[in-house]
Amino acid sequence: MSGTTMKNAAMKSFVALAAGASALLSVAAAQTVAIMDGRVHTVSGGVIEEGDVIIRDGRIVEVGADLTAPAGASVINAAGKVVTPGLFGAFSSIGLVEIGAVEDANDAGPGEGFPLGAALNVIDAYNPQSVVIPVNRAGGVTRALSAPSAGETLFAGKAAVIDLSGRVNSVTRADAAQVVVMGESGAQREGGTRMGAWAVLREYLDEARSYAANPNDYVRRPHSGRFMLSDLKALGPVVAGEQPLVVAVNSANDIRALIRLKNTYRLNVVIVGGAEAWRVARELAEAQIPVITSGMDNLPNNFESIDATLKNAARLNQAGVKISFYDGAHNIRLVRQHAGNAVAEGLPYEAALKALTINPAEMFGVGAQLGTLDAGKIADVVIWDGDPLEVTSKPEAVFINGRPQDLDNRQQMLMERYRDLSRGDLPHAYRGAQ
Amino acid sequence: MRKLAWTAAAVLMLGACSQPNGAGEESADADGAPEAADAAAGGDAEKQAAAGPVRPPLDPFPSTYEPYPGETVLLSGATVLTGTGERIENGAVLLEGGKIAAVGPLAAITVPEGTATVNASGKWITPGVIDIHSHLGDYPSPSNASTSDGNEIVSPNTAHVWAEHSVWPQDAGFTRALAGGVTSLQILPGSANLFGGRSVILKNVPSRTAQGMKFPGAPYGLKMACGENPKRVYGDRGGPGTRMGNMAGYRAAWIEAAAYKKKWEDYWTKYEKWSENDKDDKGDAPEAPARDLKLETLAGALSGDITVNMHCYRADEMVQVLDLAKEFGYKVRTFHHAIEAYKIADYLAENNVCAAVWADWWGFKLEAFDTVGENAALVHAQPGGCAIIHSDDAIGIQHLNQEAAKAMADGRRAGIEIEPEDAIAWITSNPAEAMGIIDETGTLETGKMADVVLWNGNPFSVYARAEKVYIDGALMYDRSDPARSPRVDFEIGLHDNDFTGGAGQ
Repeated sequence: MSGTTMKNAAMKSFVALAAGASALLSVAAAQTVAIMDGRVHTVSGGVIEEGDVIIRDGRIVEVGADLTAPAGASVINAAGKVVTPGLFGAFSSIGLVEIGAVEDANDAGPGEGFPLGAALNVIDAYNPQSVVIPVNRAGGVTRALSAPSAGETLFAGKAAVIDLSGRVNSVTRADAAQVVVMGESGAQREGGTRMGAWAVLREYLDEARSYAANPNDYVRRPHSGRFMLSDLKALGPVVAGEQPLVVAVNSANDIRALIRLKNTYRLNVVIVGGAEAWRVARELAEAQIPVITSGMDNLPNNFESIDATLKNAARLNQAGVKISFYDGAHNIRLVRQHAGNAVAEGLPYEAALKALTINPAEMFGVGAQLGTLDAGKIADVVIWDGDPLEVTSKPEAVFINGRPQDLDNRQQMLMERYRDLSRGDLPHAYRGAQ
Repeated sequence: MRKLAWTAAAVLMLGACSQPNGAGEESADADGAPEAADAAAGGDAEKQAAAGPVRPPLDPFPSTYEPYPGETVLLSGATVLTGTGERIENGAVLLEGGKIAAVGPLAAITVPEGTATVNASGKWITPGVIDIHSHLGDYPSPSNASTSDGNEIVSPNTAHVWAEHSVWPQDAGFTRALAGGVTSLQILPGSANLFGGRSVILKNVPSRTAQGMKFPGAPYGLKMACGENPKRVYGDRGGPGTRMGNMAGYRAAWIEAAAYKKKWEDYWTKYEKWSENDKDDKGDAPEAPARDLKLETLAGALSGDITVNMHCYRADEMVQVLDLAKEFGYKVRTFHHAIEAYKIADYLAENNVCAAVWADWWGFKLEAFDTVGENAALVHAQPGGCAIIHSDDAIGIQHLNQEAAKAMADGRRAGIEIEPEDAIAWITSNPAEAMGIIDETGTLETGKMADVVLWNGNPFSVYARAEKVYIDGALMYDRSDPARSPRVDFEIGLHDNDFTGGAGQ
């Protein structure tokens, strides 16, 4: 697979930069951890009061009540704490954007005039050293989809599932999804009308099918030059129905058009945005299209989100649609505030936890390894000082791949540096962060 | 991300002046600047027309807001956060005649006959939430080129524009904010310019007109902006293109404003002398200087009638601005988006300046890189420190309580003692003080406007919803009653003639 190749190439380029950090972290590897007596939300099988989670060699080996900590395990007393799977940011530009408005610190997507779209691969830009990662890790986020933003073409490119360890090899799944913008964003790119966007999208898919059916024959035939070969190549797994196509779309009408497209082309579709998705909830459930949405956006901010409501998530879930939440890159950690608000508006609590864990894992093909606290799964685990959906709660410990994570981050270091504003013996520049 | 960056770019700064009754009635002859020179009402100006030269009216677009009727009601059995630092368990609040008639333990309250009672047991009561930094109405929903009226990006100094002239009262955002407990808010012009223009303070009561929402007697604010925005916007349009260019731009404008202010003061001195002269042949009246809208606003800021709101992220820039204010003798009331306030919390407290901040926004531009979750708490912890949580956002304004909760929790984890009864001030009394409306609203104290929120639980919880929102004693929002959920014109009949939208949507 081309994705694997890309991934390896990307890793090589990261090695030099991250060797130091990697060496430090490996000390913590291969250990056994017993988290004892916490309120354990397994997500797959309900809640275990005073439950235990045993982690060994990066995996969860046992979850239950009254377990015995294995000999030699580091034991964590989680009494009075809450234990959940690590949170999964279902759609973000993490690792691509350090600072939005600073050009050399923003690789989210191409600028004006750049011809490629679907061929772009976040793996080429994803930076595991990003300062955004430790901040969100400290907020309990352990995995995320790092997705590109669309430039001038409908397709933004290939997204990857990454972990938030910040390690060199933190790509969980390259080529996890392709991203396309439709609705008003699509219309703006293709003739100023939705008719243009859908026509061009179909044309892309037809050409990609044609290319995939016989690449040699395709390249020999004359072409208008309208589509870049590398884009069509990249769309192969999408038209084969293997790779999820994340479609940014909001209005009920656009969503109906998307359902028709999915059925015609037999695509694996995930919606991001979906402001009016609740109006099409039954059809979405039937078409098995998941929706990654906001738990707080409720304004008729444009003509494709007239019916935006705080009850979107609850209504979608009620109809049987698989849901998750998203919030940019810098504050993926706020997905739990979205979920908490959705709960306040009627989403069942357990459904909200699923939306933050197993649902996005399943959307992007890693549900068998992640997203719940079950024996055999990768040990992404968070111990919270309270209800994880509550805005006042924070993680006390975070495990990624079974490794305890450093919860320090730049924000905390800055706070500590300036807690004491007295002049001192030396300026603030000499304080903290040694 | 681009969208977020732009939203942030639209941020303003606002400085409020804590004078008792708004700039209106009392500042008149104090300094002679035109906007301070006369009473607010047009009627006074007319009266003067007969007697002498027309003084420019202080508020030519006067508030027509009138409270809606509300019954006398007792909210009883709740946890009451007064906004003054007090917390009353099993407390009660009596609303009567549009005012707060009593607050305290139920036993201590004399309840008039015929009072309706709301059983608020297990619920919480706070003052109405106040957002010191909003663009509702100026950047309304739907958001497009037709409605984008928040930022007059034509010149670094647009002190002559007034935000109220862009306020579209049919912005659905007002209704959503109401469902989040917001009862008063300041609408600021955008932050592209060094001087963005005048703000307007509104009561969050739907009206056909902006005047119908204007907070009666509230002082005007001036919006100014530091840092990246002006230099980015004007760097290739004649400047400023640097931070030193920003500072030079402010200073040049203040010099001009000070001269303008003096010119008018001199004129009024001469005029008073002339008019007191009872000689028959006292000669022609002195000639009034020409009005200049830009300089009128700036002169008002210099005289203290208009509160100064400064959008400023970086610590070092804020301190430059404090010196600038000293150079020209004005007061910065609030730094908005003060991401780095925690680095200079001591300076801010010493200078009696509030820091209006977000709980956790960061990274959309370089000057927003150094966010810490404890920012508000560290400002609050300084003796005399004044922390405010603001929104600058049509979504954020709906859950300022949650934003305050996050900031409180981060502060507590850092060992700073903050209770809900303290942190509620960040979204009620502190912004009211900074906006100059603390004598009317912002706390639950007898005699104040009955701007009150009944929450179905602890407002510092993500699950809490505003159940009832009273403004001047009138029940303007009731979560359980669709008849008390305003819908703006734009929302009506948009989908299959359904009655969509509404507060709490």
